[in-house]
Amino acid sequence: MAEQFFMGLSIVLQPEVLMYAFFGVLLGQVIGVLPGVGAITAISLLLPVTFYLDATTSVILLAGIYYGSQYGGAIASILLNLPGTPSSVVTCIEGYPLAQRGRAGFALLTTAISSFLGSMFGVAVVVLAAIPMAALALQFGAPEYTMLVALGLVAASLISSGSHLRAFAMAILGIALGMVGSDINTGQYRFVFVPDLADGISLVSLAMGLFGLSEIIRNASKTEPPKPHINLTLRDIFPNRAEMREMAAPILRGSGVGAFFGALPGTGAAISSFMAYALERRVSKTPEKFGTGHLPGLAAPEASNNAAAQTSFIPTLTLGIPGDAVMALIIGALILNGVVPGPRMIVDEPTLFWGVIASFFVGNIILLLINVPLVGIWVRLLSIPYYRLYPVIVLLICVGVYSLRSSVIDVALTLVFGLMGYVMKQFRFEPAPVLLGFVLGPMLEENFRRSMLLYSGDFSIFVTRPISGVLVACAVALIGFTVFSSIKARRKPNHS
Amino acid sequence: MFKKLVMAAPILAMMAGTAFAQDDYPSRSIRFIIGFGAGGNADTVARIIGEDMSKTLGQPVVVESKPGAGGNVASDFVSKAEPDGYTIQLMVGGHAVSAALYNEQPFDPIEDFTFVSTIGQFPFFVAARAGAFDSIEDLIAQAKAAPGTLKIGHSGVGSTQHLTGELMDMETGADFIHIPYKGGAAAATALLGGEVDVVIDTGTVVAPQAEGGEFDLLAVSSKDPWPTMSDVPSLSNTVAPGLDIVSWTGVGMPAGVDPAIVEKVRSAVHAALANPEVADRIVALGAFPKPNSGEEMGGMIEHQIAVWTAVVDAAGIEKN
Repeated sequence: MAEQFFMGLSIVLQPEVLMYAFFGVLLGQVIGVLPGVGAITAISLLLPVTFYLDATTSVILLAGIYYGSQYGGAIASILLNLPGTPSSVVTCIEGYPLAQRGRAGFALLTTAISSFLGSMFGVAVVVLAAIPMAALALQFGAPEYTMLVALGLVAASLISSGSHLRAFAMAILGIALGMVGSDINTGQYRFVFVPDLADGISLVSLAMGLFGLSEIIRNASKTEPPKPHINLTLRDIFPNRAEMREMAAPILRGSGVGAFFGALPGTGAAISSFMAYALERRVSKTPEKFGTGHLPGLAAPEASNNAAAQTSFIPTLTLGIPGDAVMALIIGALILNGVVPGPRMIVDEPTLFWGVIASFFVGNIILLLINVPLVGIWVRLLSIPYYRLYPVIVLLICVGVYSLRSSVIDVALTLVFGLMGYVMKQFRFEPAPVLLGFVLGPMLEENFRRSMLLYSGDFSIFVTRPISGVLVACAVALIGFTVFSSIKARRKPNHS
Repeated sequence: MFKKLVMAAPILAMMAGTAFAQDDYPSRSIRFIIGFGAGGNADTVARIIGEDMSKTLGQPVVVESKPGAGGNVASDFVSKAEPDGYTIQLMVGGHAVSAALYNEQPFDPIEDFTFVSTIGQFPFFVAARAGAFDSIEDLIAQAKAAPGTLKIGHSGVGSTQHLTGELMDMETGADFIHIPYKGGAAAATALLGGEVDVVIDTGTVVAPQAEGGEFDLLAVSSKDPWPTMSDVPSLSNTVAPGLDIVSWTGVGMPAGVDPAIVEKVRSAVHAALANPEVADRIVALGAFPKPNSGEEMGGMIEHQIAVWTAVVDAAGIEKN
């Protein structure tokens, strides 16, 4: 294994290949910062460029854009509360409060470190366990996904810092918004009033509206607060020894959660950050600190989504099966370069397989190196007065949302969600559960209905199939534990 | 006098514009509209063809994605665009399927378009896990012996893959359960994991797994065996005589484009397909390059609309 990995390294460290790896991660980083413009847009634009490169270099370039954008996505979330992906929604929850307390530099650096460590963990899993992980992923059928998503919903209903009932109401709202679009089993339209919505509401427009835009409206409606003093001394930015210790375990747990979920095609990456965050809240001795800029709540999901970004290559590279649109483009680049993506790729194209994996290792080191000096520059964004910064941000949001499907309706909806998010915040309803319901609700429906179709409406499959059964047990235990601890808390009324 | 000339200038310019538009064409960039998101075959085909057409036409051909409603959002947009040759569309076999599947389309799938040329044609393969069935005859026999037990995974309700499966049911009298997935890759994963027994999809989705020894390709949907996969028997020659499903990609425009402009775009498409590098890429994506005339393309679409309308009605698929 080590020998093959070093063989891969020798490919990546060739000057030309290294240059493409650097270009890829840098572009990904920049793309990730821009609100709404995702890795997918950049990768499909660059696809024709790969006609002139060999297969290995093509994949190294395109993959670099993808995991580079994971680093970039966190920057806009922390500084401006602008999440572009489900995973960066979780980053907003703790990252933005930290930035508002004047610790933006610290939040960015912590994120870069957590992301790096998470990625390294993910790469290690790919190197050591790609084949068994792929085999495990194939064990997940519709019933398993149904219960996995159900467990995710249960676990993450504890995500809000406010009342559980309010969080629950918001999750239901999210699920309702997720219902818009075509019915999976019949193709019938549900709540589709304009053809633009036939494939559903755009996640980006919902996230940008509820988080970024609502925050802008909120800030615009009050006088500009004095800028927090931006302290950029190394001592202020770098986590101290106590903070290092505080985030070590969360990073490890987050990486583990991410590495596992990432390997599940399609479902994994979106759910991993929510799960990592929920897990941290569960194991934390100070759950009340979450939502106020709590370090473990920032470090764990960041480590998780980056670990997932690496392990999501497992089904693509070992089975030749793309889990999402980004992976489909990478498979496309392989096909156009004459490589047959499939189960024989590791054997037939060892230089490709190990070269790409070694490039993850090198690419993440490059990302860490470019992110540390950039922290100072990003943080200075915050010293721009609102009346100059916000018009630019609103324009960028509109352009980003439009670029996804060239739909004006999406832009209009973003503005509507912005107003909705503002009203929600005024009445102390959290936006995060809305996003969670929006992402997980349709997944739950799809897999539940597919299970019913596959097993002729037999409910017992959810408990008789081993993996599904374990997941059900976990969910039940979690609900039981929550109910039990809330009863216990109520018995001691003078405690609170 | 001078004043009058100044006033007349824009009018003259406009007249010149109409008179010489076809000579100048193209004088600015061309929008190449696709009805599907990035990551799909349509997006890739458009970028391959568009890149070569840019070289021939001397102007950038910019791929623009307007996904939604199985390509209907893009078709609606193109049908209402200015017929000046600066808005062209990558059409796919779904154009004919949509006409059968939707009660009311905001455009006429034939009358509102100028058809330029097809790009490539491709069939669908019936794939099963390696060793699960001896042959396509064995699969159909087992399906008939136990109706409503064997499962076909397909890439979504109303997809050409789904309708091909329904047509196979109709022609052979077998009774499969059709399970929708979100895209062909998800269906192929389900076949690998054993959740379904059969997947019907394009060569790009199932052929790599067949080469890797995971899948057997039992049959192909074209009338005769497909040239690049000649050892796979056709459904028509085995269990469903006469069945002939070949999907396609092609280039269309709004109705009413100047014939001289259409001809320029058509020769650019044909030039791209004549370029061996481009043709190789189209073949790598599982298709067979098929340059033809607008009449041929239009005739094929009309024929396919009739076929799919019959399948949708017979299979009882709900329309939108």
